Amino acid sequence: MTKFGRHDDKTLIDLMVESSLRALEDAGASEKNVDAVYAASMLAGELNNRVAIGSALVDQLALIPAAADRVENGPASGGSAIKNAYCGIACGMYDTVLVTGGEKMRHVPGETITDYIATMTNIEAEYVHGVTLPSLAGMLTRLYMERYGLTEEDLARVAVKNHLNGSKNPYAHIQQPIALEGIYGSPEAEVNNPMIADPIRMYHCCPVTDGAASVLLCATEKAKEFTDTPIRIAGIGQATDKMAVQDRKDPAVLEALRVSAAQAFKMSKTTPQDMSLAELHDAFTILEIVESEDAGFFKKGAGSKALRDGVTALEGRLPINPSGGLKARGHPVGATGVAQVVELTWQLRGEADKRQVKNAKRGFSCNLGGFANNILAFVLERS
Amino acid sequence: MKGRVTYRGEFPVSEDIESILGVDWDVPRKPYPAKTVLLPTGERMVIRETAREEAPKILQAITPLLTVSRDFYDIVAARQYAELLGWYRRRVRKEFCLVGIVDGKLAGIVNSRAYDQKTHISYHTVALKRGARVGAQLFAAKHEHSMETQGAEEILVTAESPIGFRRWIVEWGLQVKPGVQHELGGVKTWVITRDIYNKVKPRLVMGSRPVPEDLLKRSATFEIAPLDWVSKE
Amino acid sequence: MSENRLVAYKCKKCGAIVYPKRFLCSSCRGRDFEEYPLGGEGKVLTYTKLWAIPEGIEQLPLTLAIIEFDGKVRVTGQVLSEEVKTGDRVRPVWGHIRKVRGKEIQGFRFELIS
Repeated sequence: MTKFGRHDDKTLIDLMVESSLRALEDAGASEKNVDAVYAASMLAGELNNRVAIGSALVDQLALIPAAADRVENGPASGGSAIKNAYCGIACGMYDTVLVTGGEKMRHVPGETITDYIATMTNIEAEYVHGVTLPSLAGMLTRLYMERYGLTEEDLARVAVKNHLNGSKNPYAHIQQPIALEGIYGSPEAEVNNPMIADPIRMYHCCPVTDGAASVLLCATEKAKEFTDTPIRIAGIGQATDKMAVQDRKDPAVLEALRVSAAQAFKMSKTTPQDMSLAELHDAFTILEIVESEDAGFFKKGAGSKALRDGVTALEGRLPINPSGGLKARGHPVGATGVAQVVELTWQLRGEADKRQVKNAKRGFSCNLGGFANNILAFVLERS
Repeated sequence: MKGRVTYRGEFPVSEDIESILGVDWDVPRKPYPAKTVLLPTGERMVIRETAREEAPKILQAITPLLTVSRDFYDIVAARQYAELLGWYRRRVRKEFCLVGIVDGKLAGIVNSRAYDQKTHISYHTVALKRGARVGAQLFAAKHEHSMETQGAEEILVTAESPIGFRRWIVEWGLQVKPGVQHELGGVKTWVITRDIYNKVKPRLVMGSRPVPEDLLKRSATFEIAPLDWVSKE
Repeated sequence: MSENRLVAYKCKKCGAIVYPKRFLCSSCRGRDFEEYPLGGEGKVLTYTKLWAIPEGIEQLPLTLAIIEFDGKVRVTGQVLSEEVKTGDRVRPVWGHIRKVRGKEIQGFRFELIS
């Protein structure tokens, strides 16, 4: 992957080429042919004036005549691209597939980004009333506070943990640790951490980021041609839920995550307890807590206690977001799903350096499209 | 009429011309009581008033921003540069400047001037240390100086960048003052009245006083750290 | 939809209530609906006060809520009061919601029933 952050001097394709070349080199595949390329980006057309970027990427990488597609599934574009690549290989059509997710967003005003992202909500039921994703996060948080006793301090603790992890990740957008009292509990916290969608505040939201991430997938029997430490995609799940949060059976439950995670665990013949670490989709810190429960790691309502007890810290029993998560690693929307799998791969190979999770054998990731109405779940394991 | 030329260091200055063009910059004024504020990073920033003699060093610190067009840094830096230079060269009336210092390094600069006893004009806010809400704290501090230390009744504010607008004018709930042009000649002038200031103060103006003596001594001077977020081309 | 009443849609095949209008019933995929007026009173399920308001909205903060009617169907909308709490009773009121790219949009907002 590229470093996530602000890349004024590079185009979206520049970032995706850079990331792709790094992955190909890492796999020893720079001189090899690739059968297909999946390019994931949510807003290439809207923000970068580019469509059909799969074709652009395969051309720039000189991989013609490989098959090429652009995959778009909101912020789950990366996850969907990996799923499609997996299917292409599993059905026997392709042997080697490159997946690159990328986004270049920082050159656009924040309000414009928020608006484009809001268009993935239900237009008639939600968007038209002024609903944005932060407002949905605010309403979910309000439900959690009233029903499960979640506190504002819990929201802040997720941010502090992820910033600490991000400070150990040279690819992270934000590598600056923050102090709990800097964003919660002190008089200065009111200025430092202003309200965005009560009770969600600025430091509970991930940043807007430029960047790209890539993985090279190949058929299991061919893995040894590339590496001695192949990492297996053992399980994949994907599920949808009602688009409008109002229509969900219980707006405090991410049903699509329950279903997709269960599929991934079933396919990989594992359970949540078998996981050494998890990369969750913390676009808002509330989501890390809710996902940790609905993916099956903790009982409903018990996610914040696990956080407070240090279970999900880097040294804990189940490190969540050792990369820094979306909060600190950053969230170039189309790249995130791929970046999560890149992190799991590095962790399972023992290459995560200062943020290495000890004895990492199996990892879980989930990538949210929409406000949790379309989710991809992955289980990866060391071969 | 021929003035008597006196050599004063670098610039030969005609005393009579200076008495015509030089403004009453050296206005007796209650000094700003320095304070520290906690940043999200856990670091403590010292906010203190600066003396005119420190202006050249501040100008050095903001020079790299003169060509950074994103987020309107160039115009904000260029204008603050002109304002502080004007203050230093005795061509701008009753200006004051506060700085934020973190770990001995200059983190940000804010400046305003007193139009008269009642009305102050807010000039600019430049944050050199990014991503730590330095600008928000310094913005509040300079208005604290105007309102509380100097007893102003209103402060005229404008903004060049959307970030400045959103962060400060929206966050403070400022009203437009119709029929008045801000000195900087922009589209609208917003005003901080005493009422607005008192209303937002509990939420937006804070800090610890006094500054511990050794920290205050350390912050009597500052270093200029390289701006790693400004791209190098 | 009439400008006076907030109307949901009841599936003729299975009786499920949907809002807003859609092609297929989300429960049984039936295609025929009859109008199901929601009456004058709903209950706030959850809410937020949005300070980072979108373009085309003038209200700062914007109070948004998910409102439940009869325990059967939920509607998302703006609330005309900052003092809303979970469980509050609200009634729908027709009026200006926002502009989208300069175009005026009207719809139902909610006011507290005291």
